[in-house]
Amino acid sequence: MAAIILITLAVLATVARVIGLIILSIIAGWFLAYASIKSKFFENIYIILIEIFESVPVITFFPIVLIIFITRIGGPLGVELAADFLVFTAVVWNIWMGEYQAFKTVPREMVEVVENSRFGLFAKLRYLYIPFSVPRITANLFPSISDGFFYITVSEVFEVGVHTYQTFGIGSVLDTFVADGQLFNIEMALLIMGIAIVAIIVVLREFSKYAVGRYTLDTDAPVMKRGRLNIRETARVFAVLSKNPLTRLARYYKYREADKHEETYEKKEKKRKIYKYIYAAIGIIILAAVLYGAVSLITSVKLSEWGVLIGKTPSLLTGLGYDYIRVGTILVISMAIAIFLGYYLAVNRRAEKYWIPIIQSLSAYPAPIYFPFLFILTEPFIFGIFGVFTNELYVLSLGFISTFYYVFYSFWMGVKAMPSEYWEVTRNLKLGYFKKMRKVVIPSTFPYLISGISSTINSAWGGLMIGEYWPDIYGTHSLTVHAGLMKTIDIATATGDIALAAWGSLIFGIIVAVYSVLFTRKMMDLAQKKYVAEEGVYSA
Amino acid sequence: MEAEIKNENVSNSVLEADGIYFSYDNGYDVFENINIRADSGKFIAIIGPSGIGKSTLLRIIGGFLKPDKGIVKLMGKTLHEPTPEVALIHQSIVTFPWMDAQENVMLSMKAKDMSRDEMESKAKEALSRVGLDGFEDLYPKEMSGGMRQRVAIARAFAADPYVFLMDEPFAHLDELTAEGLRQDIYNILFSGETPLKSVIMVSHNLTEVLELADEIYILNNIPATVVGKVEVTMPRPRNPRSDNFNANLDALYSYLTPPRKKK
Repeated sequence: MAAIILITLAVLATVARVIGLIILSIIAGWFLAYASIKSKFFENIYIILIEIFESVPVITFFPIVLIIFITRIGGPLGVELAADFLVFTAVVWNIWMGEYQAFKTVPREMVEVVENSRFGLFAKLRYLYIPFSVPRITANLFPSISDGFFYITVSEVFEVGVHTYQTFGIGSVLDTFVADGQLFNIEMALLIMGIAIVAIIVVLREFSKYAVGRYTLDTDAPVMKRGRLNIRETARVFAVLSKNPLTRLARYYKYREADKHEETYEKKEKKRKIYKYIYAAIGIIILAAVLYGAVSLITSVKLSEWGVLIGKTPSLLTGLGYDYIRVGTILVISMAIAIFLGYYLAVNRRAEKYWIPIIQSLSAYPAPIYFPFLFILTEPFIFGIFGVFTNELYVLSLGFISTFYYVFYSFWMGVKAMPSEYWEVTRNLKLGYFKKMRKVVIPSTFPYLISGISSTINSAWGGLMIGEYWPDIYGTHSLTVHAGLMKTIDIATATGDIALAAWGSLIFGIIVAVYSVLFTRKMMDLAQKKYVAEEGVYSA
Repeated sequence: MEAEIKNENVSNSVLEADGIYFSYDNGYDVFENINIRADSGKFIAIIGPSGIGKSTLLRIIGGFLKPDKGIVKLMGKTLHEPTPEVALIHQSIVTFPWMDAQENVMLSMKAKDMSRDEMESKAKEALSRVGLDGFEDLYPKEMSGGMRQRVAIARAFAADPYVFLMDEPFAHLDELTAEGLRQDIYNILFSGETPLKSVIMVSHNLTEVLELADEIYILNNIPATVVGKVEVTMPRPRNPRSDNFNANLDALYSYLTPPRKKK
């Protein structure tokens, strides 16, 4: 009985941690999104940082962050904050990007109504921007909840060198049960966690129905489609800044001439400029903090150690190559299943009614919690078939179950959002299944697919980070792959070689960010330019 | 007939746009030396071809956009930014879906120093004025287009504006609803029960313009300039089905479409 109370309390603590951090990120995101629509300078810094951090799974640089929390703050508070930070960074980017996009797409007419009434910051947020962002936040809550719970096991218990740090929650309690072999308590923990997740998904589904009913637009006002900032816009900002100074001066005088008036009705121009400067200053502070952190980390490593790290770089890059092959395999399998299953559920209402909530609940149920038990049950059988490739198969499976949901959900939403006219055309032309998919369904859901692929790739890294090196997954069994960058980072962290872990994370971060700029953005641009039928990219 | 002599030295102007020049960020020149004046008690209409910049001009007049050159004056004072004294009513029906009719109307009073009771009472009054008595608790999704546009107009009224800027306010309504609303609006506008002094409306519907306006400014050319101003002297109420009205409509139409030059 005492164990069940402990499990219940631990589940509540974990749920409170995840929900509390989601609420915190929503509130912070409103102010940051507002600042970014008011200051182009702030927006440039904010969006670039979000895009980079969204692409790089935080778990890869978690060891470094962890050290900072433990050395600078220390004690249970330091450990708790480290766990919170990991969960926060897992949930926040989706939500912040969603809020930013919502704020950017508020119809101009609605903005004019609140401007007409001379609202201040809080009134504008309260009566316009916050309500307008509710549907988009709600849509982002499903993946955010999944992301938040996914990292429970690694955030509540973690090892650095010979030290083990833990904070109270279902992850740490379950870890103790597993270590002591308390099978009944493990089953109860999984059950109570499952009940909690199903309850959250049910509440969330009801809330999303309410949010769509109450907060979606009924106005005829056109929605602005400004969406994500891209590199070209950033370049344009620089071009404007470097514009001929004489032209700028001439413009200045043009305005000055218009401003020469005897009496002004209402003059708040100066105040507005002050706000712009404040937002720009906040942007500069954030950028400076990131740069300071990077520089201080680089300078803290001795020159001799740099030599060792650079010597290891080729093997790190080879490991990354292996990991990209794994991510590619996971993606291809996820897409193949997502396209057929997503289409089937989107066009079959009865099946959809039952299967979508089940898939949502499964995706929110943290794979690292139940994965060891799947491993125990199936490993002897799988080993008999796949032999030396068994571990590789399990790592790919962990990657798959932790990420499949994103591309599935995006594609399913894309099919649901297809204009009815498209369906009529396919019926009219009597297109067969494959022709329909190739000529109509996949092209028209392309923006959704790209968005789903991007999220799938990002989450797959998290799965690999956990799966590539999992010592004592049960008993004396360990899950480990032959080679992989995530494995190297894991081992470096476990052995206390923080310099190597940090160097591996940095290389990984740079390559993922470059990949994001070169591939994901290009595909998004293509999707917007060629395939967007409605609000595809933004809804996705 | 001394009463008909107009003293040009005494300014009766409520809102004045003087020497407006404006270009878009891409360098496209939209307006060149636009002058528009709305006197007290006058209903002003601005017409012109699609894409000429009528809605943009209305936003400059309302202080939502800053002209490159020129000034806008409200009651003799320069207008630099949007103010509740100049209320903009949009072509797209703008109601906030998360608020019921009464809350939508109360929105225009939130920034003022008023108690909730005062706001509620004034919102009810404004809704009643536009014929929505008893519909205070309805949400926009539960209303027709005409009802929602009435809510938007009530919201503008509740701010006690001196000037209404109307950007094709009837464009999204069916003809019967639009005609009914036009009559109602005109009756309310200058009933004397509100501080409203003038209305500037943008439209490309000549019937609507002729039915409501006292003065019509015609925009044309690139960049746009005021190419003509017409005073409508027809007595009110104006019946769009009368012969006199149709004759005036033909005259306005021929003014807008001058005969082509022979080759």
